[in-house]
Amino acid sequence: MSAYRSLGRNPTQILQKIKESLDRLNEKMDVMIEIQKNNQKGSQDIPDVLDVMTLLSLPDHLRKTAVTISRLDQATAEEVAEQTKRARAVESGYLNQLVMMGYLKKERRGRKAYFYIEK
Amino acid sequence: MGKIVAFHSYKGGTGKTLLSVNLATTYAGRGRKVCLFDLDFRAPSLQTTFKTDDAEYWLNDYLNGVCDVKKVLNHVSQKHMRKGELSVGLANPSTEAIRDISGKDRKWEMKALGRLLALKDSFLNEMEFDYLIWDTSPGLQYSSINAIVSADVALVVTTIDASDIEGTHRMIHELYDLFDSKTGILMNKVPVEIVSSQTGKRKLRKQFETIHGLPILEMVPCFCDVLRAGGTYIFTEEKPEHPFTKIVGRIATKIERF
Repeated sequence: MSAYRSLGRNPTQILQKIKESLDRLNEKMDVMIEIQKNNQKGSQDIPDVLDVMTLLSLPDHLRKTAVTISRLDQATAEEVAEQTKRARAVESGYLNQLVMMGYLKKERRGRKAYFYIEK
Repeated sequence: MGKIVAFHSYKGGTGKTLLSVNLATTYAGRGRKVCLFDLDFRAPSLQTTFKTDDAEYWLNDYLNGVCDVKKVLNHVSQKHMRKGELSVGLANPSTEAIRDISGKDRKWEMKALGRLLALKDSFLNEMEFDYLIWDTSPGLQYSSINAIVSADVALVVTTIDASDIEGTHRMIHELYDLFDSKTGILMNKVPVEIVSSQTGKRKLRKQFETIHGLPILEMVPCFCDVLRAGGTYIFTEEKPEHPFTKIVGRIATKIERF
C-alpha cells in the first residue's frame, strides 16, 4: 500500500498501477500453468531440449516463437517480432516464458537481451 | 523468393522419391535453379537415381556440423538438364552412416532442426535458389518432422490403401495442423479405371478432400510405364509427351502458385 500512498489520490494512476501488477501476475500464472501441464504429462524425466517433439507439445503461441528462435539461432525480442509479425512486447513475454520453462537462455549484452538455445 | 518443398507420406512406397525427382527436373527444365535433398537417412536412394558415386560430403556431414552445406552439393546439370540448374544433396547410404544417424539423441535432433531451418536463408536468400526440394522418410520420424517444420510447402503423398488413408488423416491433424507450412495432398497410384472418367475422378477428389480437409493437388494414375522404368532413368526427361510428365508439369505449376 505504501507504493499507492506515494502516488497521492489520483485514481487513474492507482488503477494503472493495479493493471500493471495484474498483467505481471497473469504472465507468471501463464508460465506456471505451462510448467504444470508439462509435469502432468509425466515429462519430468525428459530434459529441457527444444527439439521438434517439444515444439509439438507447446501451445500454438509459444511454438511460433520457439521455431523462430531455432531458425535465427539467437535473437532479441524485436528480431523475433519482425519474423512473427507480432508486437515486440508480446514476443518478449513469450520468450521469457520459454526461458522460465527451461527451453531458452537469456543473456544481456549492453542494453539488449538476447535469447538463444543452449547447444 | 524461392520455396522449400518437402515430400512426405505416412507409409513407405507411396512415390515420394519418384515425384520429388521428377518435380525437381521439371523445374530445372523450366530454367529454374533447383536443389534436391535426400532426407531419407534410413533408406537413401538419390545416389542411385543420379548415379553420383563421387560425393565427397553427405547431408549427414552437414547435419553433424562437419562441413558447410555448399560442400554437400553435387551439380548434375550437365548430365540431366538443358536450361536450368540442378544440384543434389545426398544422404550417406553406408550401413555405418545409417546406424550412426539412427542412434542420435534429442539434442542432436534439435541442432539438426536449427541447421535445416537455416537453409532457408542460405539457399533461398544468399544462393538464390528458386526451389529446394526435400525427399523425406515416411512416417513420424525426427528427420521428416524436422523437414516439415522447416519447409514452406509440405506435400503429402498418399494412395487409396485404407491404412494409408487412416494414417495420413491422423498425421495431418496431429502434426501438420500445428505448423505453418502450406500443405497439399498428392494421390498417387490411383487405379486408372477410377480416374478415366471425369465423374469418378470428381467423386474421389471430393471424398478425399472431405476426409483430409486439404486440397488434392493432383491424382496420379498408376502408370505401368512408370513402374516398368523402375527408377532407372528420370521419366519426365526421357518421356516428355507421356501423361505422367504432363501431370508432374501441372503439379509444378500449382506449387508455383501455392
